[in-house]
Amino acid sequence: METHMEELLRILKELRPDIDFNEKKALIDDGVLDSFDIVALVGEIGETFDVQIGVEGLVPENFNTVQAILGLINRLRDGE
Amino acid sequence: MSLSSASFLIFLVSTVALYFLVPKKLQWMVLLAASYFYYLSYGVKIVGFLLTTTFTTYVGGLLLGELNSRRKIRVKQLGREASSEEKKAVSDRFTGNKKWVVAGILLINFGILAAIKYYNFAAENTNVLLGLFTDASFPKVNWLLPVGLSFYTFQSAGYVIDVYRAKYPPERNFFKFALFVSFFPQIIQGPISRFDQLAHQLYESHAFSFDRLKYGLQLMMWGFFKKLVVADRTAVIVSNVFGNYQKYSGAEIAFGVFMYCIQIYCDFSGGIDIIRGIAQILGIDMIENFQRPYFATSLSDFWRRWHISLGAWMRDYLFYPLSLSKPFGKLGKYARKKLKGNLGKILPVSLVTFIVFFTIGIWHGASWKYIAFGIWNGGIITFSVINAPVYEKALKRLHINPESTCWKLFQILRTTVLVFIGRYFTRGEDLMTALRMLKRTVLHFDLRNLAGNVLSLGLGAFDLLVILVCCTVILGIGYLKERGVHIRKTLEERNMLVQWLVLLAGLAVIAFLGIYREGYIASEFIYKQF
Repeated sequence: METHMEELLRILKELRPDIDFNEKKALIDDGVLDSFDIVALVGEIGETFDVQIGVEGLVPENFNTVQAILGLINRLRDGE
Repeated sequence: MSLSSASFLIFLVSTVALYFLVPKKLQWMVLLAASYFYYLSYGVKIVGFLLTTTFTTYVGGLLLGELNSRRKIRVKQLGREASSEEKKAVSDRFTGNKKWVVAGILLINFGILAAIKYYNFAAENTNVLLGLFTDASFPKVNWLLPVGLSFYTFQSAGYVIDVYRAKYPPERNFFKFALFVSFFPQIIQGPISRFDQLAHQLYESHAFSFDRLKYGLQLMMWGFFKKLVVADRTAVIVSNVFGNYQKYSGAEIAFGVFMYCIQIYCDFSGGIDIIRGIAQILGIDMIENFQRPYFATSLSDFWRRWHISLGAWMRDYLFYPLSLSKPFGKLGKYARKKLKGNLGKILPVSLVTFIVFFTIGIWHGASWKYIAFGIWNGGIITFSVINAPVYEKALKRLHINPESTCWKLFQILRTTVLVFIGRYFTRGEDLMTALRMLKRTVLHFDLRNLAGNVLSLGLGAFDLLVILVCCTVILGIGYLKERGVHIRKTLEERNMLVQWLVLLAGLAVIAFLGIYREGYIASEFIYKQF
């Protein structure tokens, strides 16, 4: 069974096959992911992890690295 | 008191002097007093609108902050053992109340904006429809138009939404908050700043720094150069061609519109440079509002580089909330099921993009021409998003390397043409005039006519040469900046003689080539009216 990290990486890879997400440390600040990517990513994460990312969660700190995205998912799953 | 008037310069020097002379903890009060003094110079009655926005958004922020704190405490009280469903139920209850508060505050403020900017337009068009059935009609109202209304309303609304989203706690000091809304260099034409980026800088104390003074003055000079030497010069041809377009052939009209493209960029970005330069002298770094839009490779890239703060506002407060809303979420699911391929995936987000650009269009004003401008931008960007995979395939088939310089140059040229066409709408007297000018450009385009008459459009050979040389300088400097060169720092590395020569040459160019009217007052900035 896939871990959450593997699932997230799979979603990201489907979204942007051209990017090595393990390498990148500033996905938003460096403009790697644009607003279209973010909307698609939020939709996919919502369906896969059964969480709802609201606009208040859409800050660069939550999306700059894969770890940060996973942290956001975990916090939402925890009901915070 | 225009940014490029002599009285503004006197006001600025006095403010800066006072700012660095008073005890540091009073500096923000000097800024607040200066900001209101500056705003009052545009009229006493309009201050009521500014105060209403300041007061309502301040109170709204406090209420939302209180609800945020209570929610946090209640969730904490539930303890670690509570299930995520229980925590969510508590959060949802508070979110419901917060929604009422934020909706009320936004309704008041955007209501004022809508009434002042759009009522007459809506009434006029409704009356046309009503006229078909009845004699009743909505009266026309002569509203006072507070300068900077769109700018400070958007900035304050952004603050309220951020507090609603618990991005930061609200500002408790009313007067400090009033400074954030009214900060004088920016209130008239932006940039639309964010509270977490700007406010703390306004409240902190700043020691005088010679470097900041130097950098700030250089930036201001660059702004004055663009405004007084280029924008106000091109304005002569622009007014003439747009005012008497029936007299001119297609090529001459196109030349006039091209001059307007130069004018609007130099006017708006020049104003922003002056504003950012002033802030820099005061120890405050304001966000960039332009990133060399003339190098944009697509229309969406253009809008990421032009009036950046408005685009970012629309992204954070309109694009994301709409894209992630339930109705659009449902539409997305439906589209993915019913439509195969790329279109199914991006239909909702494309629709939101269209709405955003449509809104940016009407942000500029209430007129059919701005609606057309919004549809033009929104339509093209949405179309290119939907067809992106088709373009990719076509490039591969034609063996075109998308990274090659030739392709990039083609993209820049293509974008320039699209922006150029959009400018017919923003500057044309009204929608029909813009369309007639566009028609004339296409159907009666004769370069020989332009070559023969270029000197009779309002400017002589010398002035046209000045525009050409200045635009080359602006493009050259822009190119260096695109390549990551920090112009002001590079200049600093040269010896003092070179630095002084550049400074004096700049001053001389502004002094001798700037367009001044009686009393050394230059023309107003175009974006002030928005």
